[in-house]
Amino acid sequence: MSFTSFPFLLLVLGTLVLYYTVPGKAQWFVLLAASYVFYLWASPILGLYPIAITLITYLAALRLSALNARKGSMDKARLKRHKRAMCALTLLSCFGLLFALKYLDGVLVTVGALTGQKFTPLSLVVPMGISYYIFQSCGYVIDAYRGKYPVERNFGKYALFVAFFPQMVQGPISRYRDLGPQLSAARRPDAVFLRDGIQLVLWGLFKKLVIADRAAAVVGTVIDDYSAYSGGIILFAVIFYCIQLYGDFSGGIDIARGVAELFGIEMPENFRRPLFATSIADFWRRWHITLGGWMRDYVFYPLSFSRPFSALGRFARKHLHGAAGKILPTSAVTFIVYFFIGIWHGSDPKYIFFGLWNGVLITAALLLEPVFARIAKAVHLDRECALFRAFRMVRTALIVLIGRYITRAETFLGALDMLSRTVNTFALEPFADGTLLKLGLTAQDYIVLGVSLLCLLIVEGIQERGVKIRRSLGGKNGFVQWLAMFALTAVVLIYGFWIKGEIATGFIYMQY
Amino acid sequence: MSAKKWLVCFVLTLLVLILSLGAFNWAVDPFGLFGDRFMNWYAYDMTQNPRSSKIAWLDAHHDEYDSYIIGCSSTSSYPTEALNRYFDARFFNMIMYGADMYDVECESRYIIENYECKNLVVNVYIDNGLHYDQESDEMTYSQHAKTEGSNLLSYYLRYLYAKPKYAIDKLMSASSDTYLKQSFDAFNPQDGTYDKRARDVEHISDTESYLEAYPVFGNYPTIHPVMTHIDDTVGSLARIKALCDQHEVNLVVVCAPVYYEYFHCFRREDVRRFYSEIAAVTPFWDFSMSSVSYEMRYFYDQTHFRNCVGDMALARIFSDHTVYVPEDFGVLVTPGNAEAHIDAIYQSGPAEETDVSAVVPTLLYHSISPEGDNGNGMVVSPETFEQQIAALSAGGYTAVSLEQVQDYVRSGEPLPEKPILITFDDGYQDNYTYAFPVLKKYHMQATVFVIGVQVGNKTYKGTDYPITPHLTDRQMKTMAASGLISFQTHSYDMHQSSAYEEGRARIDMLQFEGEDEQAYIDLLKSDLKAADEQIAGISGKEPIALAYPRGAYSELAATVVAQSGIAVTFTTEPGANVVLKGVPQSLYGMHRRFVYEKTTPEQLLSYCSVARG
Repeated sequence: MSFTSFPFLLLVLGTLVLYYTVPGKAQWFVLLAASYVFYLWASPILGLYPIAITLITYLAALRLSALNARKGSMDKARLKRHKRAMCALTLLSCFGLLFALKYLDGVLVTVGALTGQKFTPLSLVVPMGISYYIFQSCGYVIDAYRGKYPVERNFGKYALFVAFFPQMVQGPISRYRDLGPQLSAARRPDAVFLRDGIQLVLWGLFKKLVIADRAAAVVGTVIDDYSAYSGGIILFAVIFYCIQLYGDFSGGIDIARGVAELFGIEMPENFRRPLFATSIADFWRRWHITLGGWMRDYVFYPLSFSRPFSALGRFARKHLHGAAGKILPTSAVTFIVYFFIGIWHGSDPKYIFFGLWNGVLITAALLLEPVFARIAKAVHLDRECALFRAFRMVRTALIVLIGRYITRAETFLGALDMLSRTVNTFALEPFADGTLLKLGLTAQDYIVLGVSLLCLLIVEGIQERGVKIRRSLGGKNGFVQWLAMFALTAVVLIYGFWIKGEIATGFIYMQY
Repeated sequence: MSAKKWLVCFVLTLLVLILSLGAFNWAVDPFGLFGDRFMNWYAYDMTQNPRSSKIAWLDAHHDEYDSYIIGCSSTSSYPTEALNRYFDARFFNMIMYGADMYDVECESRYIIENYECKNLVVNVYIDNGLHYDQESDEMTYSQHAKTEGSNLLSYYLRYLYAKPKYAIDKLMSASSDTYLKQSFDAFNPQDGTYDKRARDVEHISDTESYLEAYPVFGNYPTIHPVMTHIDDTVGSLARIKALCDQHEVNLVVVCAPVYYEYFHCFRREDVRRFYSEIAAVTPFWDFSMSSVSYEMRYFYDQTHFRNCVGDMALARIFSDHTVYVPEDFGVLVTPGNAEAHIDAIYQSGPAEETDVSAVVPTLLYHSISPEGDNGNGMVVSPETFEQQIAALSAGGYTAVSLEQVQDYVRSGEPLPEKPILITFDDGYQDNYTYAFPVLKKYHMQATVFVIGVQVGNKTYKGTDYPITPHLTDRQMKTMAASGLISFQTHSYDMHQSSAYEEGRARIDMLQFEGEDEQAYIDLLKSDLKAADEQIAGISGKEPIALAYPRGAYSELAATVVAQSGIAVTFTTEPGANVVLKGVPQSLYGMHRRFVYEKTTPEQLLSYCSVARG
């Protein structure tokens, strides 16, 4: 059930009515029921996956919590062994399942190709959003292992945390400590939450339907047959792909967060205006924040403080001089994290390259930072001035753009080919000879897209200055508020639903 | 505003917006599903989606019909007028482009169960064995929810919230709508047929010129279709038959004529199975393969046969001997004769050209006078005229009347061996004085095209400017009474002289640049009506022919002329005419050879014989 479909609207409205009419103690159950209606809508069989994951992680967390409670009454080393085994077993089974569903075929085929044998792909159906709820529930298990907070004993409430329908298929990835209590709290309808939720949903629909779906038309036409186009058009299409990806993913997240707000539930931000990032590291702090946060808390820190990496750090500081010595362990872990982020996107080898590309850039930035600082000082450059900031933004955007060649091309070699064509066959003529109108969009579509992007940029620019748009709009006079609401609603209805672009796409990030 | 107020405002705004978007499609109604109240333009709506729009039309108008003909696009080629005459009924043509038998079954069921239906004619095209239940999801192809039995609410909502492109296109088209059909308004809503007014007046003559106009027949595409849906199609037909039996509807099944090259693309075993299975369900009239299939001039394009062929098919079914029908055209196929019939149609071949067509050289004279003229040689002296006619007579040519040619085309009445047509434009008095005696002497028929307003005039109408005197009523009566001369029109007053007119002279029947289309059509019609009344008053016969002043005509003029009852038209284009049995279009836009004072008898004979090939 897509967020932009009529059944989803009905589900949300029905759930809302029920949610606010049942007694407070039963409210969470309405959400749980709605979540499973949402999930089972596509396929009842696939509903077994979240139930299995929920059950495994629920029991593991209970067991870990029980073990934690025995602290003091049990041999410390034995307790730790027990806990580790429990935690490792759970994570292995969850990630093992994810691996089997998403990567096994790829690995088998690769191994087959290397050894000259032929494997028949299993072609397992990957249930939508499975990596999101596996990440979310495994984070919970690790928290339980660490004994950070009491675990949830009510299976139903825990199941709701895993399967809460707005976030289930494309995030954001929440932490139990933040989301759990909100889900089970009793609430009365709150006009402010409802208004804010509707506004966020509208904004998400605007980004998804008006912007991303239009950009998608060009992307599909050009990239799927890129050798037929000259470099300029390929670049144009990859830029459109960046627009599509951002509109699609952040729009979907806005809808999810907006819907949650209708129920009085606040979910974490997943995007913070990535266009304004001044470095790749900054970009990853603004793009898919909850995945980055998850990696930071459950991969980066544990690895950095683990025995082997501490040893590596001591070794590096001793044997390597200067910055390199300091950053070697960090950068090694960084590589591992981006390797994981890379393959999180898919099993194709190109995603490994995508991960490495980011790891290399961040390590390079760390290594070169002292050099940049010295140069800046020598030429008396104020690195915080607006102009230099703009330069860094553009530079970052360009680097991200190159990375997008990798994620969008069919294969890594395809990405390299597209890149080389972009440079070697670059020409401006196709922008003036009507080629643009043969890429799946009409002149009107381009105008709509252009104006929409401008609005998006202005809004994000204001947000970047620290203004809370919805708060500040709430303080304006009635007419301005109505005008904003009318304009957004009309644009979404007319250009999002009514006058559809040629290609309507599902949400890209649902497949992960 | 408070959050609560905002919420109320939002709900209201949303409602108003949603309602106004729907209201736009409702008001413009590009598919004619909501009554098309404001534009009332079903010609457009039916073109957008004939399946749905026709049902919407019939829901409101079914009391005007009691019989239906149904099928894919070739169904439109059975003229409503003929259907009504033969069946003594009021037909609506339920043609749907690209229809398969699934469409036909659904729509037939709806029609039979919801409207009065005495006769149901199902037109089966050979393509029906190839497809079944296709393309039903597109806005322009989907059936009405009422006929398909799908959810009515979601159906109406789909069209109410269809993308605005459809409605905007309709508004744009309305601003460029013309009297003749365009690609966006191809239907006649009153009887459901395709609007073929213009197509049915196009000039058709010999095969060579037809190939120039329709090159597809010279290089016919070869395909290898396989009939994978015979069972589905025949199954539908069987259910239609059962339904008709149950509701006492007279079911007539016809298999439409197919161009021979297309027919031969099909596998013989497929055709055999298809036709045998249809015969097992119901006897049917098979017109698919005969000498007609070999004659490209019977086809509008590679797959669609002409309305005149539809006329022939109906005449065959109803044994109407006043209409020309080739002997091998149409067989009633029953289980008993199906096998033999299928063998027979594979034996069929083209008719002899001379059996189905005739060459009719046509001469064009103006004034016959000893006075000569100021140099353009158009005035022929009586002596020269007699020499020319004598030469033709000696050459074995027989001048025939237009009626004879018309009868040849309409009912296949034979023409004399070497027929020619002799015509005189403008209607000068000297035609009576000098030409008439010669024609009598050699017993040659001739046709005089008179300018109505000039009849009896010695000066230009309404002025004192002297002109070559025109025939008087009396002279015309005398000539007509001889049975040799027929009077036809050269327009009533659309051949004016710019020298004597105040303001813009209407020198021919073409529309002025910038002239309002409807005003022009009205003028044309009233001119033809005046000519009609005048000539009928004088000669006792309504005119059937028109010689376009200056030979000039347009598609629009030709269409209006044909609608006014004119069956034969002449231009001044040189060349011969080939008239074809069963193809009334071969009487439109006929060519004529100017005859001058200097034209020698040899030249004249040579023209006539060259024209005959």
